[in-house]
Amino acid sequence: MNGEVMNGEVMPDEGRPPPGPMEEPLRSDGPSKSFRTGAWRVEKRLVVRPRHEFAALAAALVVAILIVAGLVNALGKSPTASFAALYDGAFGSRESALETLVQATPLILTGLAAAVAFRAGVWNIGAEGQFFAGIMGTWFVYDQWGSLWPPLLFVLMFVAAAIGGTLWAMIAGGLLVRYRTNVILSTVMLNFVILYVLSYLLGGPWQAPNTFYYQTARMVDSAFLPRFLTGSRLHWGFAIAIVAAAVVYWLIRRTTLGYEIRALGINSVAARYKGIRVGTVTLLTMAISGALAGIAGAVELLGIHHRVQVEIAEGIGFTGIIIALVARLHPLGVIVAAIAFGALVNGSTAMQYQTGIPKALVLVIEGTTLALVLIASVASRYRVRRVKSHG
Amino acid sequence: MTDSILSVQGVTKRFPGVVANDAVSLEIRRGEIHCLLGENGAGKTTLADILYGVYRPDEGTVILKGRNLELHTPHDAIKAGIGMVHQHFELVPPMSVVENVVIGTSASQWLDLTEVRKRLGKFFDNYDVRIDPDAEVGRLSVGEQQWVEIFKTLYFGVEVLILDEPTAVLTPQGVEELFRILRRMRDEGLTIVLITHKLKEVMELSDRVTVLRLGKVVGTVNTVDVEIDDLARMMVGREVLFQFKRRRSAPEDPILEVEDIHIESVTGRGSLKGLSITVRSGEVVGLAGVSGNGQNALFDALVGVDKPAGGSIRIDGVDTVPLSPNRISRLGVASVPADRIAQGLMMDFNVTENLVLGRHRSSRFSYAGLLRRKAIDAFAEESIAGFDIRTPSASQPTRTLSGGNLQKVIMARELSGRPRLLVAHQPTRGLDISASEYVRRRLLEERDRGAAVLLISEDLDEIFQLSDRIAVIFDGRIVTTTTPAQADLESIGLSMAGAAT
Repeated sequence: MNGEVMNGEVMPDEGRPPPGPMEEPLRSDGPSKSFRTGAWRVEKRLVVRPRHEFAALAAALVVAILIVAGLVNALGKSPTASFAALYDGAFGSRESALETLVQATPLILTGLAAAVAFRAGVWNIGAEGQFFAGIMGTWFVYDQWGSLWPPLLFVLMFVAAAIGGTLWAMIAGGLLVRYRTNVILSTVMLNFVILYVLSYLLGGPWQAPNTFYYQTARMVDSAFLPRFLTGSRLHWGFAIAIVAAAVVYWLIRRTTLGYEIRALGINSVAARYKGIRVGTVTLLTMAISGALAGIAGAVELLGIHHRVQVEIAEGIGFTGIIIALVARLHPLGVIVAAIAFGALVNGSTAMQYQTGIPKALVLVIEGTTLALVLIASVASRYRVRRVKSHG
Repeated sequence: MTDSILSVQGVTKRFPGVVANDAVSLEIRRGEIHCLLGENGAGKTTLADILYGVYRPDEGTVILKGRNLELHTPHDAIKAGIGMVHQHFELVPPMSVVENVVIGTSASQWLDLTEVRKRLGKFFDNYDVRIDPDAEVGRLSVGEQQWVEIFKTLYFGVEVLILDEPTAVLTPQGVEELFRILRRMRDEGLTIVLITHKLKEVMELSDRVTVLRLGKVVGTVNTVDVEIDDLARMMVGREVLFQFKRRRSAPEDPILEVEDIHIESVTGRGSLKGLSITVRSGEVVGLAGVSGNGQNALFDALVGVDKPAGGSIRIDGVDTVPLSPNRISRLGVASVPADRIAQGLMMDFNVTENLVLGRHRSSRFSYAGLLRRKAIDAFAEESIAGFDIRTPSASQPTRTLSGGNLQKVIMARELSGRPRLLVAHQPTRGLDISASEYVRRRLLEERDRGAAVLLISEDLDEIFQLSDRIAVIFDGRIVTTTTPAQADLESIGLSMAGAAT
């Protein structure tokens, strides 16, 4: 009997595990779950251990590099020189390494936003929109109370960013809980809605005086997030992102809410039967996810751009989704994956400059990596065994 | 020498950490009904899967009619003349009976449905099975779907038919009809291999029986030469108690009072049409019935995930209809769901985490929204020991546990709160004899402690064995209420089929 599962999410496939030590497993799903070619048989693993996942992940990255190398080669460039330039741009010097962390900062936060939601099986694809909502909350506070004592102003701006992201995410969350609306669709559509709302504000009430650009005025220096070091753009937002990752990790592992979020993601039917308030947990998950994306917006605005423009996002929300998936929804893995993607973004500029390969290649790398990592995550559930021939 | 059609010689099949079949040898004779008897995990299904080309043996050979059999896929098996009906049907529900039969015949690009329909109709007529070849398979009863599976296999012209636990889904009358027709098919020359763990079926139907235990053949015997106790001993490896010591139950005050509840069916879960039932402290009420008659809806209503449109449910006098599942469980309602994987467990949690599922917010296991990890770990160790859950460690992924141990995890969790009412839905389905015995014993212990136990089961033996009172559910209502002493299998079976008024 297949219980209905909310969010249209499918129950994880139980496969046909080999019999346990004492008895055969409860379910036998019929004969077709393993297949063979020649002397090799592909079988489902009963337990996927971290080392299986790491091996699959490493293989995926190697294959991604090979594919990209092939593309570069097809462009008539040297793959090794290009990768060297990419690496050089990302980690070649102290400055470039720090700049990589700058790029990684908002990605960590949107990666966490996606990871939290996906853990609960709530497919929030709207980090991009919630990121804008956070920026709008931040700017609203700055615009209204910009002359406040800076520490208080910062607190208010971040709170407003979190609230902005939360509210925007809760629209989709509410629609899901109340009307079973597909969150993927609603969050993606809400991304566009908020983009147009922001465009209106940037061309109207919030537009910087005496300009034609769709942007606000520049913030005063006291409202900038302080930087760590001279000669680098690395700002306190990075620390905020790291703390956020630790908090999310703690939330997921140690709190009752985190337990319920994981339970919901694993089996929402059993969660309902065991008295977990599925609607409440879904809404709270969306709220946390939205808040993280909103804070990412504040961090980018206050740390780097210092004025609101539509260009701030640059797909940071969407990249966060890829990062969360590559990190297998692990909050600390998100940090690593975000730095890797930040390095790609950062290094690509140097690569373009040195070899003439368009920066857009990074998008190809991101896409290829995502596809391969997803394949790897499925592949890690299987193993290949040699079958002794007989007869 | 009797004519051997299928000979298994020294077949060994290993899975990681376990030898599912260990040098298994047996002979299947032409035109006999041969039972493969064994507990879950004895290796019956693995052996059948080898005969059907799902697995290849690591060692040993299978000989069909004197020729060495090299099977790579079930398709090869069918071509060689061996067909199998699995416990879980492989049918396409929205398609008609005829279309389902045709699916497997990749013989030609050209579909001649008329011809198939004719042949199938003849088949059905011949065996007195009343199924419309053009009916949509999804609308057929489970018993009828089984016939479609069997005839689909026969349509390929197989000589050996393997049936994996075919009676699990049938009423007593359905079983009788199945057996009647299987005997006739045997008399007409078909060889039938029947996999089961039910001793009665073996005694009733088979000509010979091969008993498997822990992957090895214990022996092959002529059914007429043995008693049911002999088979039980061969199967389990020790004496089996078929009777539980029944303390005279002394039912006291009603704990569960269900009055006239109605629930509209959502997609085949079965409706409730004015069901009333009472369970008192210190008694087991067995609810018998063929699945799909409202058991799921009743279970859902009792635990609170579904709400009746009319009527009332009271636990200790408290109306639970407006309450959430969480509130209801805090009134002392524990539940063992029918589908333990889908409804009762988080397969990707570890054992510890599953043991507190639903109680994770209680003050014992959490404080101010934080999990009390020490208390949880201690409780897990205690439960694993107390319920003899076989797991390498408490942090073992739940996914790796066997069915019996999964059920023990659920039992440990549900009984730990010393419930007032325990609702157990098919609590021993799919479990082997030892695990079933254990679960049943625990249910009786709960009764003796003073809990009210509602046992919803399709296994009539279990109902008779455990119940102080028996109620039969049919079409969303209780049609009969009786006691094991007053009732007999046949009358209960008739009520289950809706024949009683």
